[in-house]
Amino acid sequence: MGTGDEEYDYLFKVVLIGDSGVGKSNLLARFTRNEFNLESKSTIGVEFATRSIKVNKKIIKAQIWDTAGQERYRAITSAYYRGAVGALLVYDIAKQLTYQNVERWLSELRDHADQNIVIMLVGNKSDLRHLRAVPADEATAFAEANNLSFIETSALDSTNVETAFENILTEIYNIVSQKQMRDPPEGDTIRPTNIEPIDVKPTVNSDNVRKQCCQSS
Amino acid sequence: MLDLDIRKMGDHIQKYANDNDMNLKNSFWKKNIRNLPGRASPKKESKSVSSSASTSFDDFQESVSDAWEIEAEDEILRISDVKISKRVAHSAAVNVINNHKASIEEIHKSKNYSNSDPQGESSSQTNKESRNTENRVNFSNSEVDTNKLTKFQVLLESNLLNLDDLKKLSWSGVPVEIRPMTWRLLAGYLPTSAERRQEALDRKRIDYANLVKQYYDTDKDEVYKDIYRQIHIDIPRMSTPLFQQTTVQEMFERILFIWAIRHPASGYVQGMNDLVTPFYVVFLQEYLPIGTNIETLDVSSISKKNRDSLEADSFWCLSKFLDGIQDNYIFAQLGIQYKVNQLKELIQRIDGALHEHLMKHGIDYLQFSFRWMNNLLTRELPLRCSIRLWDTYLAESDRFATFQLYVCAAFLLHWRLELLEEKDFQGLMLMLQNLQTQNWTDTEISLLVAEAYRLKFTFADAPNHLTTKR
Repeated sequence: MGTGDEEYDYLFKVVLIGDSGVGKSNLLARFTRNEFNLESKSTIGVEFATRSIKVNKKIIKAQIWDTAGQERYRAITSAYYRGAVGALLVYDIAKQLTYQNVERWLSELRDHADQNIVIMLVGNKSDLRHLRAVPADEATAFAEANNLSFIETSALDSTNVETAFENILTEIYNIVSQKQMRDPPEGDTIRPTNIEPIDVKPTVNSDNVRKQCCQSS
Repeated sequence: MLDLDIRKMGDHIQKYANDNDMNLKNSFWKKNIRNLPGRASPKKESKSVSSSASTSFDDFQESVSDAWEIEAEDEILRISDVKISKRVAHSAAVNVINNHKASIEEIHKSKNYSNSDPQGESSSQTNKESRNTENRVNFSNSEVDTNKLTKFQVLLESNLLNLDDLKKLSWSGVPVEIRPMTWRLLAGYLPTSAERRQEALDRKRIDYANLVKQYYDTDKDEVYKDIYRQIHIDIPRMSTPLFQQTTVQEMFERILFIWAIRHPASGYVQGMNDLVTPFYVVFLQEYLPIGTNIETLDVSSISKKNRDSLEADSFWCLSKFLDGIQDNYIFAQLGIQYKVNQLKELIQRIDGALHEHLMKHGIDYLQFSFRWMNNLLTRELPLRCSIRLWDTYLAESDRFATFQLYVCAAFLLHWRLELLEEKDFQGLMLMLQNLQTQNWTDTEISLLVAEAYRLKFTFADAPNHLTTKR
């Protein structure tokens, strides 16, 4: 943990959003530390974790920001949307209300995140089959209509957690690498690594991303 | 009742706006060292600090007077440029604590306290036994001597309590035996007059029972249902075994729900449950033999009457406590954002190297200190340490909101060496989110608040001696 000196080709900032108690922190814990805690405390503000994966022989480092779900924290957490290239919008398949609120979260993203942000809708707690309140086809249709990818996961039994993160990171990677082929960024030859944090407005956060990448090279 | 609260909230917001105004005019750390008409001179400031209720730290001043002689502005200027080594700060803090102990011994009236021990048990024996139980809440005094307890008892038994004396004495830690009563008095929940105390206690407990009947046991309005839903999601997520008991969860839900609807401008904010815990655990101990391990305790084994009292006392003390920091929890959590900025400016001023290090690696103060402020460090410290910290917070009473800023600063500075060794954003962030305090005891907290006191004394409202450019 904490050895940031590891080599990587791309650094992507991803946020986890969604209502309280849908399992955002546990998805993150499962993906980054392979841990699960049935009684994990509510997240206050934001929490950070990271993990690197390989896509097309490239090492992609994901910087993941886990946010508090309560409305009162919105002003604080929305600041973290800036510079994010991906968002996992999580709901609980056993709680209809958390699914209904997905619309509100989407408009949060529209208001505060970059317009090109890649969004994945995640129905978590798929292990609670007997309590299912949101049919998978309904969520699939909604995702299609809103141009989101969709997956159901269970942080508890690990189902699809790796896949969810891999899919969104791959999707982001594809967009970035295609974009690079189409119009290679100016000054790319000067930069030793292929860092191109998608088409985001310059913010403090994305600047940091750049700085970090350069340091590691 | 609700009207009153709204008005009060308005005042809070107004106060915040005023503060903010002042901030714009003078900036929090005044940028200008020239004397301006109408501005408090640093001398005056330091005087007002020392004459306040925190004079239990007069000895602190004395013990470090060679280093901190504040006579003239340029003196302060020089001081500000001195890099204060951790060792010096540490030894200063140790001096403070020792001096304090010595002064208590001087006034010590020899008295056999165990007769008046409210628990009727010999606590000193339990002290030794549980000294090593690091990972649970310590119900016994491991580090406070019996002289101090005697002094507390003399104060508490007087007909008309001198609250300032109690605050002075409590600042450096309250002995476990008399902590519940002391906290009730410090929080302003009980009157200083001894003969009115029981009556007031009975009345407040009845008042609380009525609030529960009025708001909780009846059908809840739609707005209230949202609040309840959120509380109901969060409470079962408090991880220790004590909080897995339905009885305990329901008590917390009632406390938080009623607090939330009585404070509509803030309502319930995630993390507030952690602020109930110290009160709850301290008052819970009154109904248990000293040394009981609360982690294995079945709370429903306590009588209904005692549980109701415990719940009511926790509620009222929480209310008094939160009154001073309500702007932390209003829309956009302005109080916290403001304090995070203050923390940043403070660190920049007193430890430029650490500040530059954090900046260089893209660390934003909000990213780590938001939780420190929102939860008053309860998430960063073991519960036993939070309780000790609460002694000081409660002794600071009205000034505690400001004081907490300096506690956060001292807390950050405590880790400066480890942080300076981290060479990238990720390492820093992960460390800051997970500071290793598992083995902390009262000693670390005493040093922490002593350091916070020193920082506040040296830097609060002093003219700016900042040399770094922005």
